[in-house]
Amino acid sequence: MASESFTPVSMPSALRFDLLARCSTTKARAANLTLPHGPVQLPLFMPVATQASLKGLTPEQLEATGCRLCLNNTYHLGLKPGQEVLDKIGGAHKLQGWKHNILTDSGGFQMVSLLKLAQITEQGVRFLSPHDGTPMLLTPEHSINLQNTIGSDIIMQLDDVLVTTSPDHARMREAMLRSVRWLDRCIAAHANPTTQNLFCIIQGGLDLEMRAECCREMVARDTPGIAIGGLSGGEAKADYCRVVNTCTSLLPEMKPRYVMGIGYPEDLVVSVALGADMFDCVWPTRTARFGNAITKYGMLNMRHAKYASDFGPVEEGCGCVCCRKGEGGLNVTRAFVHHLAAKETVGAHLLTMHNVWYQLELMRNVRKAILEDRYPEFLKQFFKDLHAGDKSMYPDWAVEALKTVGVDLME
Amino acid sequence: MAPNTESHGQQPGNMSFETLKSNIQHTTTARLGKLGISGRKDIETPNFFSIGSRGVVPHLTPDVISAHAQFSGIHMALEDFIERATTGTPPVMNVPGDSPLHTFTALPSHFTTLLAPRRTPAVSAPTGNSNTAISIFTSTGFQVLPNKAYTTYITKLSPDLAVGLADVPYGTVPGTKRIAKMGDRTETWLTELLAAKPERTAIFAPILPIDSNAQSEYLNHLDDIADRIHGLAFYDPNTLPDIPATTALTRLPRLSLSEPRSPSQILRQIALGMDIFTIPFINSATDAGIALDFSFPSPKTKSESTAPLPLGTDMWAATHSTSLLPLSESCTCYACTAHHRAYIQHLLSAKEMLGWALLQIHNHAMLSAFFSAIRTSIAAGTFEEDSDVFARVWESEMPEKTGQGPRVRGYHYKSEGPGEGKKNKAAWGNLGVGVDGGEKDADGKVLEGGLVPTEGRGSWRGRGLRRRLRVYREMHSRTSF
Ligand SMILES: [Zn+2]
Ligand SMILES: [Zn+2]
Repeated sequence: MASESFTPVSMPSALRFDLLARCSTTKARAANLTLPHGPVQLPLFMPVATQASLKGLTPEQLEATGCRLCLNNTYHLGLKPGQEVLDKIGGAHKLQGWKHNILTDSGGFQMVSLLKLAQITEQGVRFLSPHDGTPMLLTPEHSINLQNTIGSDIIMQLDDVLVTTSPDHARMREAMLRSVRWLDRCIAAHANPTTQNLFCIIQGGLDLEMRAECCREMVARDTPGIAIGGLSGGEAKADYCRVVNTCTSLLPEMKPRYVMGIGYPEDLVVSVALGADMFDCVWPTRTARFGNAITKYGMLNMRHAKYASDFGPVEEGCGCVCCRKGEGGLNVTRAFVHHLAAKETVGAHLLTMHNVWYQLELMRNVRKAILEDRYPEFLKQFFKDLHAGDKSMYPDWAVEALKTVGVDLME
Repeated sequence: MAPNTESHGQQPGNMSFETLKSNIQHTTTARLGKLGISGRKDIETPNFFSIGSRGVVPHLTPDVISAHAQFSGIHMALEDFIERATTGTPPVMNVPGDSPLHTFTALPSHFTTLLAPRRTPAVSAPTGNSNTAISIFTSTGFQVLPNKAYTTYITKLSPDLAVGLADVPYGTVPGTKRIAKMGDRTETWLTELLAAKPERTAIFAPILPIDSNAQSEYLNHLDDIADRIHGLAFYDPNTLPDIPATTALTRLPRLSLSEPRSPSQILRQIALGMDIFTIPFINSATDAGIALDFSFPSPKTKSESTAPLPLGTDMWAATHSTSLLPLSESCTCYACTAHHRAYIQHLLSAKEMLGWALLQIHNHAMLSAFFSAIRTSIAAGTFEEDSDVFARVWESEMPEKTGQGPRVRGYHYKSEGPGEGKKNKAAWGNLGVGVDGGEKDADGKVLEGGLVPTEGRGSWRGRGLRRRLRVYREMHSRTSF
């Protein structure tokens, strides 16, 4: 397929999006996204380094997984080390010694989900300082200003996030419209549009009409990239898929599409089929801390006694530093991870390396399949592996969602 | 290199040790040597081995060790591997290949493994040793380790170096009757171990932490069999000067299993002729958030100060929060070249595990540089003067720790008791997360516990058995990772 490229004109942009291929069956796409700190390949999974560090791994180790774009959380960095320190040091790249790209969220979602007393008004998010309990306010302008100081390559607008399952239609619509108004304030406040890319965030809950309205409004603002937000909040997977599918159909083809907070392997491959490009989730790294290894045959808990004498790698054939044999590989066994689990943090670090590699490698293989126009076959193999070929175990939501884009897992 | 190099040739097994230089022909004096083990990188001595925990250097994955560590070997304790021995064969015994311990721990091949029965420092046991066995402390509780079993473990696991079983009573002061037995038992155990002829392991004979008169028979025996052992392992460096000054014993490499509290104590032991060290203060400085910062004999950059300089920097201090300086001006380690104080201060303050990993890399690099400078000094014949300079320039003790250690769990750490309060405070005090006792996963399900526990870390020494038992039961009743 011919490569097409597009650089938005009306709003300054610090990225270049090159669409390389479209799947001839599904809505999946493969693209190159060139950001201020180098190119990344889409579709893409982004590990979350909440406080400017990824669960014990050195930036060098994170780099070795192939990661070239990771997340930092604005809310956390705003508290520690704080804006003043970030300003003095010269931003988050310099703080953590990371040569590649960083994406930051707005801080709003974290605030609403972590702080019990957060309140949303037209001005912004009101909350009590976790330091001393004094009332504070996070406005769209503050969020952008903080992200400007952080210097992340992709910054996110402050949005009014409600759980998608909220039954309050009026409140949902208010949140969606407010998110549009806040986007305008974010655009106006953004000091570095030529070095940092502001992404809007589509809201509207599970109401497809509302999502469509939000897409129209936000696409008109012409941000360098577009996120679909408010998901991964406990909604039914089928509803999730409908929202993603609806939005991607309304979004411009020549911009990256980021679905926030998604990370389970089956969610990733289905979302890609529905036309999404970028994902992030804390789950792969968090679950490593509980002894869980993600493999193509499902998740394995290394704390289980059956692994105590299992001298195979965490995942057979895995190319991560932990599993790989030979030069540069450690050839770590399940038995050794079991031996360390819960007793030495190195056990968790090893699984973090494996899990991050798994997610990134999954997306590399997804991309390869799209480029070779065999993504439907890839999907079939993926679900076959995950459920040991037992089609009765395939999740209905995935089967249904993939049917809408021309892939029948059951055939 | 040195003018009076004295090679003693190949010793039995696959290990060789040559003394490259001793200042004077006297048994107890600082000396230079080279330890060669087939398949591993040669180790220039004086030097140190990192102290492992469950086969890993705390905080460091083996790839990080491979990329950034300059130390040559890791001390591993058998008691970290055999908790399943009470119900069957410990998994490590079924690892295929020639070097099961190496293979199991994924240790890069050029590093040396040193196996000892017990951790350094070791937790004192509730029951004493017997004529045939010692008490050890595994992750599931106390166990008895018969010498016969220890011999089998060594033969099968093939560590590069192994310390023979010693009748050392941890935590109690042995009486006269007990002391009389210590040498006899240790000698018997060593004889049994040597009779098994472990092929790929060099055996270090333990020297007991008791007066040399009380173990004189054992020491004389060691002299008789010196060509069958490969080294001496000292539980107390003060016994070194009393070792028979025979050629056969003098040519053996000397390992210190003592617990030096500061660099000056290391220097003192080197002056006595010690070759290889295990140094608990590296790991404890790391856990305390202290970046070691000393060089031998004096600072690389001229200091105006006439007062003794601190041996390390407390990285918890907020004064580092915007400092782009390395942990130590003279250090070239990964933490100092790729990162800066501000990041490490941030990581500690945010309780991010990488903070301790970077400190661990740095603190090990500091000791590697320290030993390298010591070897240069001995080669130049200035070790004694340099040690005097060191004593004048630097403080004699490690800086006090102020910050909290890493969130840790483990059977080797104790609780301070009910009065201490929670040591591992949540990094995000009054946020919602963790308040209900668990983090939530992507589904919003509450996960039970964290990787990291809420117990404090400290020394088990001098603590009552009851409390210890309670603590490790508490630790092991938890199901969280
Ligand atoms: Zn792997
Ligand atoms: Zn350093």
